[in-house]
Amino acid sequence: MRGMVLLYAVAALLRLWLMNSATLATAISSRVEVSTPLNSWLRVKEGVYLQSQGVAVYSGGVFHESPITLFLGGIFIRSWGWWVQVVFITCDLLTAFLLSRAAMAYANKLLGEQHTEAPRYAPDSRPLLLSAASLAGATKDVAAAYLLCPYTVLSCTALTTTTLHNLVLASLLLAMLKGRAVLFGALVALATYQAVYPVVLLVPGLIALYQYHADPYHHNCASAPPLPDSSKEVRSGALRPALQDHCVRILCRSLVSFVVTAALLLLVSAEIAGGWDFLEATYGFILSAPDLTPNIGLFWYFFTEMFEHFRLFFLAVFQLNAVIFQSIYPCHAPTHVTHPPMSRTYPCHAPFHVTHPPMSRTYPFLRQSFLVGCMLVASSVLGPIMYNQWIFSGAANANFYFAVTLAFNTAQIFLVTDLLFGHVKRQHLLYNGSSMTIEGKPARLTLE
Amino acid sequence: MGLLTDPGMEGGWLSNVLLAHEKILSVLLYCVGAIWFLALAHNSMNHETYFSENALLPGLVHGEFMGEAKANRFLQELNKETEKYPSTMPHAWLQAKMTQLGLDTYTHNFTLHYPMAANKSFTGNNVYGILRAVRGSSSESIVLSAPYRAPRSPHLGNAPAIALMLALAHFFSEQLYWAKDIIFLVTEHEQLGMEAWLQSYHGSLPQSPPVLDFGKLIARAGPIQAAVNLEIPESFVSHVDIRYEGLNGQLPNLDLVNLLHRLCHRESVEHTVRNRADHRKPDTASGWLHQLHTLLSSIATQATGVPSGNHGLFHRYGISAVTVSGERVGRAGGRRATLLHLGRVLEGTCRSLNNLLERFHQSFFFYLLPATSRYISIGVYMPAFGAMGSCLLLGALSLWCSSCLRLQLLQAEQPASDQPDEKESSETQSDEKLTETREQTNAAIPDTSSTPVTDSGTQSLVSLACVALVCHSAGAVASWWPTVASRTGAVVALHADDSVALGSLALALVLLRLPSALTRSITGCSWQVVKCAVQLELAVIVFAGSLLNFSLALIVTAVYAPVVIAVAPTSSRLVRWLKCLLLLAIHPLTLTATFASVDAVLNFPNEPPLALLMRCVTVSKRALMYSVVDSYVYGNWVYPAACWCLLPVWLLLWHVQLSAPLPPITKP
Repeated sequence: MRGMVLLYAVAALLRLWLMNSATLATAISSRVEVSTPLNSWLRVKEGVYLQSQGVAVYSGGVFHESPITLFLGGIFIRSWGWWVQVVFITCDLLTAFLLSRAAMAYANKLLGEQHTEAPRYAPDSRPLLLSAASLAGATKDVAAAYLLCPYTVLSCTALTTTTLHNLVLASLLLAMLKGRAVLFGALVALATYQAVYPVVLLVPGLIALYQYHADPYHHNCASAPPLPDSSKEVRSGALRPALQDHCVRILCRSLVSFVVTAALLLLVSAEIAGGWDFLEATYGFILSAPDLTPNIGLFWYFFTEMFEHFRLFFLAVFQLNAVIFQSIYPCHAPTHVTHPPMSRTYPCHAPFHVTHPPMSRTYPFLRQSFLVGCMLVASSVLGPIMYNQWIFSGAANANFYFAVTLAFNTAQIFLVTDLLFGHVKRQHLLYNGSSMTIEGKPARLTLE
Repeated sequence: MGLLTDPGMEGGWLSNVLLAHEKILSVLLYCVGAIWFLALAHNSMNHETYFSENALLPGLVHGEFMGEAKANRFLQELNKETEKYPSTMPHAWLQAKMTQLGLDTYTHNFTLHYPMAANKSFTGNNVYGILRAVRGSSSESIVLSAPYRAPRSPHLGNAPAIALMLALAHFFSEQLYWAKDIIFLVTEHEQLGMEAWLQSYHGSLPQSPPVLDFGKLIARAGPIQAAVNLEIPESFVSHVDIRYEGLNGQLPNLDLVNLLHRLCHRESVEHTVRNRADHRKPDTASGWLHQLHTLLSSIATQATGVPSGNHGLFHRYGISAVTVSGERVGRAGGRRATLLHLGRVLEGTCRSLNNLLERFHQSFFFYLLPATSRYISIGVYMPAFGAMGSCLLLGALSLWCSSCLRLQLLQAEQPASDQPDEKESSETQSDEKLTETREQTNAAIPDTSSTPVTDSGTQSLVSLACVALVCHSAGAVASWWPTVASRTGAVVALHADDSVALGSLALALVLLRLPSALTRSITGCSWQVVKCAVQLELAVIVFAGSLLNFSLALIVTAVYAPVVIAVAPTSSRLVRWLKCLLLLAIHPLTLTATFASVDAVLNFPNEPPLALLMRCVTVSKRALMYSVVDSYVYGNWVYPAACWCLLPVWLLLWHVQLSAPLPPITKP
């Protein structure tokens, strides 16, 4: 406990120190890896100023935040001043706390699953099983990883609005794991409202909610009809109609909550912005990628030299790619919501670390962690150097920088694939046992 | 490849080979890389230079400059003027002359607040004249510059360069073809004046606390496309040396360097790189040695990060620049170049630069020059460097594998426990080739485990982070140390050179005790993990550094990699002492002293040993001091890089060397 308090205090002080060291803070907030057109605080300030001068904020191509951010940012900037830093730090700490709570909920879920499934596991799979003690350690690691991850620290230091997005995503995850359907729907709507892409979380989230409520393990706490059947029957798919109805009702409630919240947010936004122009400047800006300033993503490089009449087609292909990458992993293992930034239009480093719930059980099955670690470190170090050589010294060129971003994105794809493989492999070994032979000869497990 | 996750195979063949022959493979890679690199000086391995930028059109027109007499007259006047002001620049005379020639002439004041002592400052004056382009809109410019050297300055005089520049200004002002403004700049106090002028020209943000107060410029002439700096000590020179190494090892575009060499060749002026003429028969063994010598000499210069002339400060702003340095030592009876020849070369250069449509961007920015017409581009030298550097990665990989294996064996040794808390340990992971698309495995992870072993993953990570944090903070302290030391030294009336040297030495000695303090307070981190991390860190540093200052990265790799391979705790006392000595020899401070001393010995080969020793000590102190002052005034990275990157790495290596060897594990 004392360790955790110390951790939070260290994280808060680190951020506060960085924010107040004049040269570092400006240097960090001007990095393209941290601040993008979508999340830079400078642009929020600009938007607030423009609005106070009576200029149409969304017509200038400078401001791309949502109107509610504009409204709240205006309040903070005008009347709270210095407290902005405190608010951002609090948000980050809160995110870490919510994430560790989510990890705890997830650990409980895993233990419950293991409890009900245990009879079907192979006899020699015992070393693979989880224990409460080790999971408790893992949940602490989640908070530590979030708080001390350099990417999140830098992002918070630069006061990027990604910090706020992360907070919403973390609470979304917690709501999902706790089975709070209405809250989940509302939070997905909020996250989508902020950055469009989280809408894909709706599908895996609904699957997870369905599983949660269909699982008898939770029924002593959930307000569902009592379930006399044995758990095996439930698992084998013979859900009782009553329970099924209950689950469907919950999903509907979640969907309705999503739609209603989204509609409300949009209406309020139109009221604040004084019209619907903001849709073009925010969501249009994200989807059609008009700003080709170099960043750590892949869009800018391709679309800089794209012929105009191919642009729409490739835009669709790239965006589809983004959606697939962000949904494939959570769909396969619904409670592992990763949020890799790689295929977004304007990615930054921060969301990368936001939601990796206790993956630790798959650690022994990861095969490329060394490689992925080295790639991530190398590309994080080389990125700024290449950028500097290209933009300021004029010695390197765009290809150098793009090579580094490509390596960074490849590393992320490796990581996600590796986690997925690790998960699948563990599942396989649990049910089939770890000694594999075919007709007495040692066999190999091949994934194709 | 199952590598470490399947005990049935004891790892794949790759990891087996790696674990069995790690040392041999590393040494082999290092040697192959080193030999490859040395071989690059031979003409069969490097390439003939060529022009990438078509717009330059070098030497397409005949030189029309005839102003030698005029230049000599300016020289006489300037010499007479110089006698009146033995220590300052005759800026009134310069200003008057430039104005007479029809240039827009201005002066520029700057002040240096010496960073190593309180209340000590120097002031200086630059004079510059702008020849406005006839056919342009003052939107682009070319700089011709020359440092002014007063008679009392320790350097050779530079009056002929200024005289030639004025003669050129006179000639240029009569021509009609200029599309770019030409700025004629005379700077004071060597690089300081140039740095102040450039910062002021580009409107840099003032530093806090201000070290160089760079003043204000009254007039500008658009973005500078290229610059040529002149250093001509005599009106007759035996050859011209084209200097190109800039601040922090940055280089100008190869096209500009080629341009100067090509025009010198055209005007029959002897031209050299690093003051070394081309070998007559470059394909022979002696030709290779000659070019290798040139190559290594330019690597040594580039590695210091100190510009080899005033041109070096332009590079930071993305402006290609070179220094044309006339040298008077030469073969007796050789052909001598007069100011007429040099003027023709510069006329051709300026006319070529005048043709430029955009900034230099076509040709290479990363290259090495073994001869005036040969170059080694980044694509050619990087593989050799990569081979040398990758022995660090290989070592890290094998350490990773072996510590994973060790963990497994430890787990296997422990009695089977009933508690099924097999959990994460970041160690039991494996690596695999990228291209491996099929995931194959034989069986699962080891059967048994228990708490002490399983916890060791997280625990060793945390203690590794602590050790690394302490070592890096020591580096941070070292980067502020010289200022503290010099201020403290000033109290006891010690010279700044001495106090910085003594202070750094004291700090280094104190830090030697760091590992024993660390091992006492932080446990649970085996030396293998630390060494793996430090190898990775060093690899990242040298590979990233090779893009900024290739020569420095090369030297660091060449010196550190063999020692890193050797470093490991041993139980034998003799071996441990030897390895400690080896490590002490590559301490950043020792390295600085060694390089400075080698330089001194090479420059003064005829001194008696005792005097030479004294000179070595003085030179080492001064080298340290200069690197610190340069980092404050010019933003030279060598000292900060040594403190923030190299010193922590060295401390970690020292920690590894002094930690206890691991107890052996027998295979079950």
